Amino acid sequence: MIKWLGSSKATPFWFLAPVIAFGIIFFILPLGFALFTSFTRWDSLQPPRWVGLDNYLYLLTSDRRFFPTLFNTLYFAAGTLAIGVPLSLGIAFAFTQSRFQSLWRSLYWLPMVTNVVAVAYIWIFVLAPTHGLLNRLLAMAGLPGPGWLTDPSIAMLSVILVFVWMQLGSNMLLFSAGLNNIDESYYEAARLDGAGTWQVFSTITIPLLRPTVMFVLITNLISGMSYFTLMLVLTEGGPLGRTTVTALYMYEMAFADLRLGRASAVAYILFALVFVLTLIQLRFFRQGGVDAH
Amino acid sequence: MNKLTTSKLRVAVSALALTAAATSSVFAQDTKTITIATHYNDEQIAPITACFEAYEAEHPGIDIVHQQASYGDFLQTILTSRVGGTSPDIYNIYSIWAPQLAAAGALEVPPQEVLDFVNANYADGSVGAATIDGQLWGIPTELSVYMLTYNKKLLAEAGYDAPPATWDELLEIAAAISKRNDQGNLTQAGYVYGTTVANATHPFYSQMYSEGVSPFNEDYSATNFTSPEAVAILEGQRALFEQGITGPEMTTDDFPSGTVGMYIAANWLKSTYQDAFGDEFEETVGIAPIPSSRDDWGTMLYSFLWAVDSTSDVKAESWELLQWLNTPQDGLSCTGQMLNGMGALSGNIADLGMMDVDDEFSQAYVEAIESGAAQTQPNVPQAAEIDRVLRSYIEQVWAGNFSAADALAEADAEIQAILDDAAM
Amino acid sequence: MSGIVKSRTPGGRALTVLKYVLLTLGAIVMVLPFLDMFLGALRTPAERLASPPIYWPRDPQWINFVRVFTELPMLRWTFNSIVVTTTITALQLLTSAMAGYALAKFRFAGANKALQFVIGAQMFPFFILIIPTFFILRYFPLAGGNDITGTGGSGFLNTYTALILPFSVTWYGVFLMRQFMMSVPGELLDAARIDGAGEARIFFTIALPLVMPGFVTLGIFVFLYHWNEVLWTMTVTRTAPDLQTIPVGIYLLRGAFVEETTKSLQQAAVAVSVFPVMILFLALQRFYVRGLTAGGVKG
Repeated sequence: MIKWLGSSKATPFWFLAPVIAFGIIFFILPLGFALFTSFTRWDSLQPPRWVGLDNYLYLLTSDRRFFPTLFNTLYFAAGTLAIGVPLSLGIAFAFTQSRFQSLWRSLYWLPMVTNVVAVAYIWIFVLAPTHGLLNRLLAMAGLPGPGWLTDPSIAMLSVILVFVWMQLGSNMLLFSAGLNNIDESYYEAARLDGAGTWQVFSTITIPLLRPTVMFVLITNLISGMSYFTLMLVLTEGGPLGRTTVTALYMYEMAFADLRLGRASAVAYILFALVFVLTLIQLRFFRQGGVDAH
Repeated sequence: MNKLTTSKLRVAVSALALTAAATSSVFAQDTKTITIATHYNDEQIAPITACFEAYEAEHPGIDIVHQQASYGDFLQTILTSRVGGTSPDIYNIYSIWAPQLAAAGALEVPPQEVLDFVNANYADGSVGAATIDGQLWGIPTELSVYMLTYNKKLLAEAGYDAPPATWDELLEIAAAISKRNDQGNLTQAGYVYGTTVANATHPFYSQMYSEGVSPFNEDYSATNFTSPEAVAILEGQRALFEQGITGPEMTTDDFPSGTVGMYIAANWLKSTYQDAFGDEFEETVGIAPIPSSRDDWGTMLYSFLWAVDSTSDVKAESWELLQWLNTPQDGLSCTGQMLNGMGALSGNIADLGMMDVDDEFSQAYVEAIESGAAQTQPNVPQAAEIDRVLRSYIEQVWAGNFSAADALAEADAEIQAILDDAAM
Repeated sequence: MSGIVKSRTPGGRALTVLKYVLLTLGAIVMVLPFLDMFLGALRTPAERLASPPIYWPRDPQWINFVRVFTELPMLRWTFNSIVVTTTITALQLLTSAMAGYALAKFRFAGANKALQFVIGAQMFPFFILIIPTFFILRYFPLAGGNDITGTGGSGFLNTYTALILPFSVTWYGVFLMRQFMMSVPGELLDAARIDGAGEARIFFTIALPLVMPGFVTLGIFVFLYHWNEVLWTMTVTRTAPDLQTIPVGIYLLRGAFVEETTKSLQQAAVAVSVFPVMILFLALQRFYVRGLTAGGVKG
């Protein structure tokens, strides 16, 4: 063994050692631990008690809050994709063909380098119903001023818009990189054939950009389904629980009510959902990648 | 394998984790550190901080550290520290959290000397708040009572010179005070609620007491939320929203800005009002009984208490310090000085006698306690979780999604499950 | 890069105008909220309490930016942010480069499986690890007063280690560095081996310098991410105010800012948490872009 450790065969394992140790202690072990916990009733102050599938059954059959949080999660993830992707694609499109690129980039990246607590505490003031900046501007235009974060019917939409604002810079960056990777010769060939702007866009740009779009969709979907820090800080899950996404529900269940077993079950159910959705998207991604060539 | 011991679990965790075992050096300690966790901010606790320094000077070898957490985060902070094995030695806890903490074995039973001290020097109401199933868990501190708080100037502007005695009168006066801008958002509110869980549940409980109904039954095995009184109370609250008298855009935090007519609030806000209104305090802030449909009225009283963590390694020192902090020496005790500074009341009879409570504001609260109108908030198990559930249904009614009867029936069902679960 | 739009045609000209209108509108939306925060930080309590509140500060309270440091533990928070973020960045860079190098430049049993593991691990969202990781740190053997069975003390909780250790490796970083390391010519490494250079030396003096652009980009990315990290830091520093970082400190102190008159100080604290990192990032932007365009993005 000691001889092996010094041999050239062992070299890659020396380089991998920290990552392997980390993978065991902070990845495999916690996943197993959480799975075990999800089958117990545990408040961490007293020993865990094995309850089999009780936690899962409770969540799926009697919990009145669990499914609404799943709906909120899907609403949030879908909303950020539906609004964020076209918007950042459009901006990226304009950006790659404009002058003063470093100026635009600097401005669009400002929210990206801002911590989420600051983002929340900036927008709480902007979105304040009576004297917030947004409603003041709307009032000047003679428009109504809704309670952006207090009206249950639009609070999630507001959270989505703030999130899109936060993410716009990084998605724009990915799209503009994708646009820059499209070879100029395609455009020239199309122009020689007398294609108009729209034709070039729809027949060349869009298909060639498809892999990037799919990449952004997948990564944004996973992060959107799992995300809750903004809701925690901006709305604390309210009003009426309309911005309580499943991951936030899990977090509060674990650390405010010490229902660690049930919270672990929530985590696993949500993870299963994310996993399945990712696989479905990956399948589309593969097809999309093939089609593009 | 039905039951696992914690130690087995820990062994399982550690066996796998051993690969990267890191050692931390533990230095022998000459001084004993006592950590005290409270929800009071540095400004509020300043009198006690001065006492700590005096105590440290008198007792060489004792080092006192104050740990502050916002009220909204406080229970979670205690639980997290408890779960993490990083508990402070002394907590200043809200009485309704005591059952959950005591059930989890987090609280240390006070020594006989401390029990005798409390029984001899504290008012019954505050001793009751610190007692669960006959066991007293610590030394009562802040005593707070909910009353109708109103802005005299706004009431006068609207043409009313007396606060409402019934909810119907309250609706009428509040409607006359509320103002909206062109966009329809409130710029001045006749009545408000707040954003925290307590901002909804405490006024609701207070109103229940005022109608002569306790929120829970005698042995805390069921709620009284489906009683006709409770339903009527919530319907009355709903009317405030339905008639546009209040709305989520204005909250209890706006009262010190002078743009709120009335709300149900506790007395510890006195110093906040004094800061906000200055010389105008007495002419601005008025206190009245909780509106009621009965001739009689009632309200809710809650208490905080000093308790010691069961895993502390300086328990004896902690109790000694606590007893010292709560014993009036020349004038108010250290705790008394802090409470007095905030305008809060004390359960300590000697302290209460020496506090600045002669003004109209404080007298209203003292009378509520002394007349027996203020009743101790019941120490139900899982109180924080129950309150959160209740708030969520109350909000549904405010938003007009549920009728009061439906929402309270749902809340009752969900809370019943929590009570049953806790009794298991 | 002239792109697809020809500005010589009338339609093209309209598109050009549209393009700049879109960019400008977007930029306003990006910047305006920051301006709102900045103005808020300068308001006097009286301006806030006026009915209606005064928007443009008439008597700008620049002192609020000083008060952030004198009345709030901003210096402590900043120190913690620097300690935690630089340590995490250094650890993640080192572990990513080492593992990426091994995966890209060595053939060994299980190499493919290892790579798949690294890619697969990225699919696991952090929320599923929060609860167990908390308890693993708490029951870590021989740490923080714990004995060999992991009991007796509080493990790594209430130490910097609790903030750093769970982030000492990034799967994304390992994968990214592997992609960059692929471009390092094997002949160069073999030549060094023939010259008798040790493996560690080869890694540090030959492989690493060749992937510097990617290394720097990853470093900026990681630094930024962890400078702004809130969720985990909040979870483990709730009971340890001395370890809180800037954003977490501001969040957990929110209870001190409920009254209207205190909100200018809160907004000033938020501004202080935002502006330095903005300036730093804008200064480093060039390196970040270079690394990304060097092939990192598409993975």
